[in-house]
Amino acid sequence: MLFLPRWATDCLKRADPALGALTEPLALWERQRGAMRLLAVDDRAVRAGLMAGQNLSDAKALCPKLEVREIDRAFLEHVFADFADWHSYASPIVSVLTDQAAYGDLCLDITGVAHLFGGEEAMLETLTGKLRALGFTVAGAIAPSVGAAWALAHFASGQIIGETAGEALAELPVAALRLAESRITGLMQMGLKRVGQLYGRDRKALRARFGASLLTRLDQALGTLEERVIPRIPVAERYAERRFAEPIGLIDDVLMSARDLAIRLSVRLEAEGLGAQSFHLFLYRVDHKVMSLSVNAARATRDPGHIARLFGNRVERLIGEYDPGFGIDMIRLAASSVSEVNAAQIGAFETRGGAENLDRLYDRMTSRLGPLAVVRSKFVNTHIPERAVKLEPMVARTPDDPEAAPDAALPRPLRLLPAPEPIGVVAEVPDGPPAGMQWRRVNYRFVKASGPERIGVEWWRPGEGALTRDYYVAEDDGGRRFWVFREGLYHETGNPRWFLHGFFA
Amino acid sequence: MLGVKREQMESLRARIAQIEKRPMLEEGAALPPRGAEQDLLAAPAGLLHEVFADERRDAGATLGFALAQARGLLSPERPAILCLQLTREAQDMGLPYGAGLKSFGIDPHGVVLIRAESIVELLWAIEEAVSCRAVAAVVADIGGRPKALDFTVSRRLSLRAASAGTSVFLTRYGEEREASAARLRWRVVPALSGTAAFDAHAPGGPRWRVELEKGRLGQTATARAGTVDFLLDWTENGFVVVDSSRTTEGTSALPDRAPSSRAVPPALGDRLSQAG
Repeated sequence: MLFLPRWATDCLKRADPALGALTEPLALWERQRGAMRLLAVDDRAVRAGLMAGQNLSDAKALCPKLEVREIDRAFLEHVFADFADWHSYASPIVSVLTDQAAYGDLCLDITGVAHLFGGEEAMLETLTGKLRALGFTVAGAIAPSVGAAWALAHFASGQIIGETAGEALAELPVAALRLAESRITGLMQMGLKRVGQLYGRDRKALRARFGASLLTRLDQALGTLEERVIPRIPVAERYAERRFAEPIGLIDDVLMSARDLAIRLSVRLEAEGLGAQSFHLFLYRVDHKVMSLSVNAARATRDPGHIARLFGNRVERLIGEYDPGFGIDMIRLAASSVSEVNAAQIGAFETRGGAENLDRLYDRMTSRLGPLAVVRSKFVNTHIPERAVKLEPMVARTPDDPEAAPDAALPRPLRLLPAPEPIGVVAEVPDGPPAGMQWRRVNYRFVKASGPERIGVEWWRPGEGALTRDYYVAEDDGGRRFWVFREGLYHETGNPRWFLHGFFA
Repeated sequence: MLGVKREQMESLRARIAQIEKRPMLEEGAALPPRGAEQDLLAAPAGLLHEVFADERRDAGATLGFALAQARGLLSPERPAILCLQLTREAQDMGLPYGAGLKSFGIDPHGVVLIRAESIVELLWAIEEAVSCRAVAAVVADIGGRPKALDFTVSRRLSLRAASAGTSVFLTRYGEEREASAARLRWRVVPALSGTAAFDAHAPGGPRWRVELEKGRLGQTATARAGTVDFLLDWTENGFVVVDSSRTTEGTSALPDRAPSSRAVPPALGDRLSQAG
């Protein structure tokens, strides 16, 4: 658990060099119920006797040189989220604890990763040291439960406790239990000031007096009740990563590393007999940002060449948004949507097998042109022409509905206009095709027509423009065959409108 | 002495020209038609076609003709037809419609639509698709006259199509003809349909007047390219020639066009072959 008590001010100071060079104390305020109250103060302001919650005018009186800014919560939260993502270099499970504040508490699950840093102690030292070097005020602690770690990080930082949290927490104030302000005051009034005083008390009485939340928090801190953390970045079990001694910036270097990582990842997937459909490339920038790039494949694969090509295409599309900042010092390639791929299937890729080849073609196109660019027609069980065919991305195919297959005997145009275009008609007769039309300022004279094919509204759908359509196939004197319809019957609307909806071959 | 040298030079030049001449650029040879004899318009696989219509409102006819050609190229090894279009041109010319494909006689599940944002991406997608050996044909709508699609690009597409055996149909609009390396160039004009089965007033099946403007194919090889046109019906069994006539006899229903707008392929071919 890492706790950054001065995140708001530290973050602003890093973001704005003018503030960073400041020698005066800094405080952030917010308007609360009509009063301007301080919300965050930096170290100098604390030394000057200020604290969060004070009135702005009081603070100004106490410390005339105080520099004040209005707080921008959204910005701070956003930057903190980026900052949290960046910490996934240390552990795959990183989350922001938002119980008490929207930013400031960072929770890392370091189960099984501490040895990479030379033990828990060294890891805590490395992580906090890194942040201190960057100018953040940080407190850290390691404990077997989230609650205990939070308590230690806030009230007794730097500690590492092993199995039992009970003794370590006994001396801490009850505020260490992540309780609401009113609960803490209530406990204090009862003389329950330290966590240890709650041990061994009658649980029923505590619940009756202080509610269930107290017991939950206590159990969570002591580790008898499991608490889950929701990782910010989906945890990938299978990944390959590479750290760089010197940060890299060029996109070509990134892609080359991605190719190497893809080879390493594919070796690992192959050993397990697996393939994956989604691949995510995380680029960790030196300035606490993570850029991610994801590609999807239509079928599970582990061919490094294919994966690398997909990333290459994707990057070509997003090249304008690529910004390495001051450089990238770590790259991670993770695989998700993992499923079993047997060896024969991989072999089939290499031959001229049709379906696999096609799937890879669609993957490549999707990665370059976007997921909605490569689509197929999927039939939907409805009579409304524009709704009867849905365009479905090739990389996310769903099984067909056998009942939805269209009737080939019905006349349907080869090209359909996505939005029907209004036309002017001449010499219309009720319930008959028109003698001609005017479309895009050109007049057409119809010589043949068939119809109507009456398509009723789907009355069970709310919000329909409830008008029946009469479709006609009309051929003009040049041989062009159009699909036109009249919206509304003559008795439904006095003056029905006509539309052009498609072209026949 | 001088004459001998000149002769030697001439023979060497001829040999170099022989070596440099690429079969693709050879306009003289007629292509054998694919399949049965009555299917005399069915072109073999691996060619770049241009399918022209005079106006964009005839987009249905060009797509129909291209798909009709593409249908014959489908096989179990090559089960897919790819239709490419610019996203912004969908409303202008209409999107290929799945239910309509079915009525037209093509399995809509084998047809994949690709909608590109820009012409550069579209050309990239064509090239990518052509190289895939599981694609039977690529049908690309080129609505405007993009600068990006020049002779070099069409030549590259043509070579790729030949090496992978995938046919490419560029459906294009207008009466201008630019220099292109397409092996066959068609001009499709919708024609008044025949009678429908049970209703004299109803439009019949698709019928087009098709002119082979460039290249020679099967029986048409006996005539010079650009002088043959057919009146074709599209039925579920393939093309049916209703009437074949020659413009030289003056019976064509095709409106005349200025001949100057047509590109002259042999000159271009020679120039390219000498440039290496």
